Amino acid sequence: MIELFDVTKRFGSETAVDGISLRVEKGEFCALVGTSGCGKSTTLRMINRLIEHSEGEIHLDGQPVRSFNEELLRRRIGYVIQNTGLFPHWTVARNIGLVPRLLKWPRGKIQARTDELLGLLGLPREEFADKYPHQLSGGQAQRVGVARALAADPEILLMDEPFGALDPITRQTLQRELQDLQARLNKTVVFVTHDMDEALALADRLVVMHQGRIVQQGRPIDLLHDPVDAFVESLLGGMDRGLKEASLTCVSERMAPFGPRLLASERIPYRAPLSQALSVMLWHRVERLTVVDDEDIPIGELSLRRLLGAKPS
Amino acid sequence: MTTERCSPNWVLLCLMSAGLLAWLTLEAVSIAPNRLVAGTPHRAHEVHGWWAALLAGLPMLGVMVLAWRPGTRRLQAALALVVGLLVAMPLWLATAVMALADPDIPQARLGIGASLWLLLFLWLLVLIELRTRLNLSRAFGWLLLLPVVFAWWLSLSFWLEPLALYREYQGRSDQFASAIAYHLTLVGAAVGASLLLGIVLALCMRRYAGMRKAGFGLLNVVQTIPSLALFGLLLAPLAWLSARFDWLASMGVSGIGWAPAWLALVGYSLLPMVRNTYVALEGVAPAVIESARGMGMSRRQTFLQVRLPLALPVVLEGVRITTVQAIGLTAVAALIGAGGLGTFIFQGLGQAAMDLVLLGALPIIGLALVADALLGALAERLRHGGTP
Amino acid sequence: MNESDTLPVPRGHASRGIALWRHWSVPLIWLALLLALTFGMSQLEALLRLIEPDTRQVLYQRTSLATLLGQHVFVVAVASVLAIVLGVGGAIAVTRPAGRDFLPLVAQVASIGQTFPPVAVLALAVPALGFGTLPIIVALLLYGLLPIVRNTLAGLSGIDPGVHEAARGMGMTRGQILRQVELPLAAPVIFAGIRTSVTINIATAAIGATVGASNLGDPIISGIVNGNTAYIVQGALLIGLLAITVDSTFERLLWRPMTG
Repeated sequence: MIELFDVTKRFGSETAVDGISLRVEKGEFCALVGTSGCGKSTTLRMINRLIEHSEGEIHLDGQPVRSFNEELLRRRIGYVIQNTGLFPHWTVARNIGLVPRLLKWPRGKIQARTDELLGLLGLPREEFADKYPHQLSGGQAQRVGVARALAADPEILLMDEPFGALDPITRQTLQRELQDLQARLNKTVVFVTHDMDEALALADRLVVMHQGRIVQQGRPIDLLHDPVDAFVESLLGGMDRGLKEASLTCVSERMAPFGPRLLASERIPYRAPLSQALSVMLWHRVERLTVVDDEDIPIGELSLRRLLGAKPS
Repeated sequence: MTTERCSPNWVLLCLMSAGLLAWLTLEAVSIAPNRLVAGTPHRAHEVHGWWAALLAGLPMLGVMVLAWRPGTRRLQAALALVVGLLVAMPLWLATAVMALADPDIPQARLGIGASLWLLLFLWLLVLIELRTRLNLSRAFGWLLLLPVVFAWWLSLSFWLEPLALYREYQGRSDQFASAIAYHLTLVGAAVGASLLLGIVLALCMRRYAGMRKAGFGLLNVVQTIPSLALFGLLLAPLAWLSARFDWLASMGVSGIGWAPAWLALVGYSLLPMVRNTYVALEGVAPAVIESARGMGMSRRQTFLQVRLPLALPVVLEGVRITTVQAIGLTAVAALIGAGGLGTFIFQGLGQAAMDLVLLGALPIIGLALVADALLGALAERLRHGGTP
Repeated sequence: MNESDTLPVPRGHASRGIALWRHWSVPLIWLALLLALTFGMSQLEALLRLIEPDTRQVLYQRTSLATLLGQHVFVVAVASVLAIVLGVGGAIAVTRPAGRDFLPLVAQVASIGQTFPPVAVLALAVPALGFGTLPIIVALLLYGLLPIVRNTLAGLSGIDPGVHEAARGMGMTRGQILRQVELPLAAPVIFAGIRTSVTINIATAAIGATVGASNLGDPIISGIVNGNTAYIVQGALLIGLLAITVDSTFERLLWRPMTG
């Protein structure tokens, strides 16, 4: 659990972060969103004391971060940054084993842990363990970056625009992998991004920052419905909000049992977001889709009317 | 970072306290009745007394006070103080001459002592530090030295005749002028030749990969061989050639003199010249060349109007490195009778006349600095403005 | 790149030896040539006689060439080791938080100082320190510092800030970051600076023969003074070989493929 109480950070006469309070529960995925320079990265870096806060208190599990030795504190917290920050003179395996080595784990345990993480992130050990960072693609390098952050099994993971430098396809793949990983590992994650779609897709809780302050926080769906002001609204996509909301809802939530009519010819997986269903309807000029399960077996149907919001009762 | 901005500038504090210490403890000047006798050293307070020495130290203390809480205004004030100090040094020397010189010994010589050399060095460091902190341009830094140069010129022409360095100069002012001219001619001839040759070589290397490898390998080896050895190694074959062929001898080619010096200088200059020209031509962004070709420029037009102008600043960088290097190496060439300012250095070392050594060494350093600054400024200008 | 891609170091003892030999053959051949000439110069008397047929003495015998070589190497080695310790140490010091105030000045001085011709620095050392070996060592040390400081600063500041950030973020201490990340990454650039420094020092030390140091510059200077070209050739050959030997050794040292 991470708690910030009225935290302020000043650089000289400039106030980067202005009296923010925040509470991230254990196992929660919290996304800090905002335009560049809004103080979100500073906030993140104050948690592992890469930047020391000027005022207020930051607590980890009820203890102020200042009460820990800063290096020991950071070894307990995973940290992923945009440019990966992999050490170019070390192999992938050695990069991943960094924090365990700092913590003086026995050699065998480090090796086992490295292999486990390589497997977890879909990087076959035989192929990748002895490669150097410059031999990796952007996506592979960032997977290694995530593996390195997870190496000592920290409870908390801080991620600073980890996918910001990747192409859209790779980024989506990694986002999906991160979701799966989070479902399995259940870490407390603080994730900084300026990409609202990324934040909406990943976060349990959205924290919108502007000029060093938190303007709104809550569940993504709540923010979409109730943006507190024009800034949050525009950040959430203005007129595109409908599609964004649709992307947060699953087809299965709006699906109806089979009606009397014939099966519709176009199909949609039950786990797909509503936005995708809408797109399929638009593309094929149809008002009805057949919902299928993972084995492509029809399990229901979705009509445009239901999709638009006649909520299932 | 308010706290940091208000924290003292330790660099200035250290430099200035070292300066004060040197001023009060080391010998400032020495005075000798003639060229042969070693001088009697005098510390600053032995010249005009303690009060004057302490008073003269006040501006340095002033800089330290200003450096304690350095804002922009205070640093500017410190800069003015330091320039003032640099201007005051020759004037103080003039007063020292008046206080110490015995009118009965017209040949008396005033030597500059360790404390003044050290102060000069430290104050120049302070100047550099202040220039950096105040974000002043290089050109402005040079401008600041103008009043200092003027003060030295003024003092030398009116009051500082007994200064040993000046006496050495007066004894051979004609020689000095011709030495500088000769030095520069040799450097110019070597750099010019290596520029032409370097461009030709770089163009060839762009075409033939084999030549590139062999060429860089050979030039690397030449660059590695110490100057004295290269001059020496050229001596024997050139002597042999001039003995065999009269027309060479009649041109002045011989084992010693300008010929081996010039050859060696060209040899040393080629590596930086070729490397920079080659890198410059290769380094032009492929997209630019592609778009020039795409617009329908011919190969020739692309080279002359696009590739060459874009490469020019880096080529000039090569000229700068080469020139500075050649100025130093020409000094060594004096050992094999090539003349130039190095002659004074080696004569002075031979006669244990340190002021003569300085008469050779200081202008060489000056020339190197000026060449570096001018060519650097030219390259900078080309880089920003495209054409001057 | 994997080390075995470029440096063939396979299994067996014999082949490892061959690989090592292949790696070091160039500097070793130069070294052999240097030593052969140093100790066997007298065998070349007939050749030297060709250069200088009218002089009685063609072999430089005032001091043995081996002694001169030894002194040359000694002076350069002492100055270079001191320059490396002070230069690398100084550059590290001014890039730490405590010494950062001095960084701009040191960087500027290192770059301006390199415009000073080494001969001039040597010449200035004499009035300050007198004749002999000590002023030469001091002059070489001072001048040799500049490329080392400059390159160390360049190497340290050339490190990707992301790497530094990550190292801190992972909880490495300052010392660990310096030893395990900064220095290894900056090492190639630092070594290039050391190489430049040593090359200049070998050349400048030879000129030091004019200010009373006895080293391989001696035969050249005395050859110039006495008009004996044979002396000059002997000195020049040995200095040239020494410089090439040292330089090719550095080249091999640096050649180890750096990754990243």
